[in-house]
Amino acid sequence: MHEPEREILMSGNEAIARGALEAGVGFCASYPGTPSTEITTNLFEVANEFGIHMEWSTNEKVALESATAASWVGIPAICPMKSLGLNVASDFLLNLNLSGTGKGGLVLVVCDDPRGHSSSNEQDSRFYAKAAKIPLLEPSTYQEAKDATKRAFEISQKFEVPVIIRCTTRLSHSRGLVKTGPVSRKERKKPEIAKGLFNVPSPHLRHRDLLDKLEKISSEFEKTSLNVSGTGGLLVLTSGISSLYTKEAIHRLKPEKTTHLNLLTTYPLPKKQLTKALKQAERVLFIEENDPFLEDEVRSLAVEMDSPPKFFGRATGDVPRYGEMNTDIVMTALAKITGQEEKHTKSREQFKDLIVDRPLTFCAGCTHRNFYYAVRKVKKRLGGKLVVAGDIGCYSLGVFYDQAMDTMHSMGSGIGVGSGLGQLQKFGFDSKVISVAGDSTFFHACLPGLINARHKNADLTFVILDNATTAMTGFQEHPGSGTQAKDLHRVDIERLVKAIAPDHFKRENTIDVIALINLLHSTVQKDGLKVLLLDGVCRLEEVKRKPGYIGDTPVKIDRSLCKGEKCMICVADFACPALSWDSETGYPVVLKHACVQCGSCITVCPHKAIVEGE
Amino acid sequence: MSDPFSILVAGVGGQGNLVCGRIIAEATVMQGLRPVVGDTFGASRRGGSVLTHIRIGKQDWGPLIPEGEVDILLGFEPVEALRAAAKYAGERTVALVSTLPVPPASVTSGAKPYPAINDIEKALDSLCKDVHLLDPTSVIDRLKSTRVLNTFMLGILSTVEGLPVDSKNLRKAISTVLDSSVDLEAFDTGAKELG
Repeated sequence: MHEPEREILMSGNEAIARGALEAGVGFCASYPGTPSTEITTNLFEVANEFGIHMEWSTNEKVALESATAASWVGIPAICPMKSLGLNVASDFLLNLNLSGTGKGGLVLVVCDDPRGHSSSNEQDSRFYAKAAKIPLLEPSTYQEAKDATKRAFEISQKFEVPVIIRCTTRLSHSRGLVKTGPVSRKERKKPEIAKGLFNVPSPHLRHRDLLDKLEKISSEFEKTSLNVSGTGGLLVLTSGISSLYTKEAIHRLKPEKTTHLNLLTTYPLPKKQLTKALKQAERVLFIEENDPFLEDEVRSLAVEMDSPPKFFGRATGDVPRYGEMNTDIVMTALAKITGQEEKHTKSREQFKDLIVDRPLTFCAGCTHRNFYYAVRKVKKRLGGKLVVAGDIGCYSLGVFYDQAMDTMHSMGSGIGVGSGLGQLQKFGFDSKVISVAGDSTFFHACLPGLINARHKNADLTFVILDNATTAMTGFQEHPGSGTQAKDLHRVDIERLVKAIAPDHFKRENTIDVIALINLLHSTVQKDGLKVLLLDGVCRLEEVKRKPGYIGDTPVKIDRSLCKGEKCMICVADFACPALSWDSETGYPVVLKHACVQCGSCITVCPHKAIVEGE
Repeated sequence: MSDPFSILVAGVGGQGNLVCGRIIAEATVMQGLRPVVGDTFGASRRGGSVLTHIRIGKQDWGPLIPEGEVDILLGFEPVEALRAAAKYAGERTVALVSTLPVPPASVTSGAKPYPAINDIEKALDSLCKDVHLLDPTSVIDRLKSTRVLNTFMLGILSTVEGLPVDSKNLRKAISTVLDSSVDLEAFDTGAKELG
């Protein structure tokens, strides 16, 4: 990524990292989250060479606070996060905007996930730029992702405000050619902290000053020529990756008198230039990812026009109001507006029986499966009177595992929701409550909820599924992870939990599924706050750490004991992907290439037909 | 060539889709053209479908192929090939599909049978211009690795008429990205497959 100036293939995320490098970034703090993670991992790769401080912070708020500290003393800082991460960091952001970023420069990159490919919502994070009244750049190509990041640092350094770069999944996770520039090798000044880094006693005056800055930034954005040609026709206004879809749609449909205008700076808008463009148009179509952000901004701008053009977009229903953008959607909208015939694709419904679903599942040997299998059994034993409040991580897949999880929202909300559920007995709520969190999530957002549950004597079982890594996003280090860089200090989950003094605490492994069922069953029936710290294994991480690694308990099916079709518990109920039903013989088979030889399935078979052996 | 020229790779996590996309992209650059490669994988490491959209042209095109606009469909798995074809195949589409199934959970659990390969072929035939079903078993057995599936399929791809990327650039890109003689052998085997 740090090669000298030439044209190379980069993903949007790599291009952003490269842009930061060219801008002379000195500090990067981040919490992993798809689709943003690779920005930080790419910077990690070159950190030593360029003297960049890198950290996976405990959560996005801490990341933003740390990055800001660097900017305050004059060190250019970047803070990449996913959409939902900005919700966590927003409390600080909406104070920092007023006090400013000092001389270093601070760029906050937020990667939104339209359609929620790897997210639990499809929020549009651009509204945070408007809420915080700070500049927003939306790159639309790989080249622009790099260039805009560099420019974002310049704007931040000049106006001492944080600048948001908004990317979306498709730009983050696709690649194209990028012409690189020189990496900044400027010598850094001796760090000195800026003054007056607080907003009291007159936050309203800080607000006034920020509005002044915003005006100046808007004028700065006016200087970029928008190159609007074409008059009197249809103007298609776009931002972000939608620009490439629009280009393609126009190329294919070739509608008459149509101009395409893409905006990099979507907040604050370059109002004069944009008004000029609007005056030349009869109709305007908005194509952007997620919500009608640009659309609403431009509509409110047009209120001041004598004869505004007619607008088409999400507000008018010409573009779908949810889901992800693509070229087909742009073509449909363009065809409708310009009166062209829409192409009708043949119905392909007739193949749906052949296209068998491929649902997500826990990996072969994943200990999360063992835990959720135990949850399902305990739920049955309690006649269904068990509520499981889940959380964010690989173990979120519990919702696909016979709905072993009942709730799943934001980071740390499992224990928060559990804390509430565990106090509803006085209203006659008679279900047992389990809250679940993984180790990285535990550090990210679970401590306030757990302390609240302790303080209020909530009746619940908090289960920490500890596989000692941030598994879902690619094994990033966190305070409790099994491997730590030399200069980091491991924080012990057990000691932390014990300091909060739950009524019952037990640490156990998760390999013996029957023992796990019994432990969970007896624990949920105790009164008070119970915490189970379950040591698990991420099989992907294990193989990454020890290539070719496999466990020491190979298994096989003893057909003399197997009940075949009458049972099928191992394949249909436990459903490890290394166990497969063979319809020809009527017996399950062990898939050697998939099995990690953990031996957990041995305890699952009630007929003792899964036995150790090759 | 049609500009953009679009290749769609359909498979499941771990089959080498992403590497395949990288190889075609590198070869495209060697050819003096601009590639855009979009991967849609979600949480694919946990057994899901993976699609790689490759656009080749004189300019950057969108990272998603529009419906019906696929020039070549590389199917690494029969059901995944059909899933992709049902959404993206059209009158220009040439489908190259590996017949080796990776059964999804609904099949390994015994709930459903894996569809018959003949039925998948018929469905693909009705959706695409040309369909070639290819059995990679012998090359996988000979080279003792399921990982050569993607380079074997790339070898077949290299012989499709109208591909804007030369076979020698694809071969060179495999050396650059993978640096493995086994993969070059798989590529060469694939290149002879369609005769």
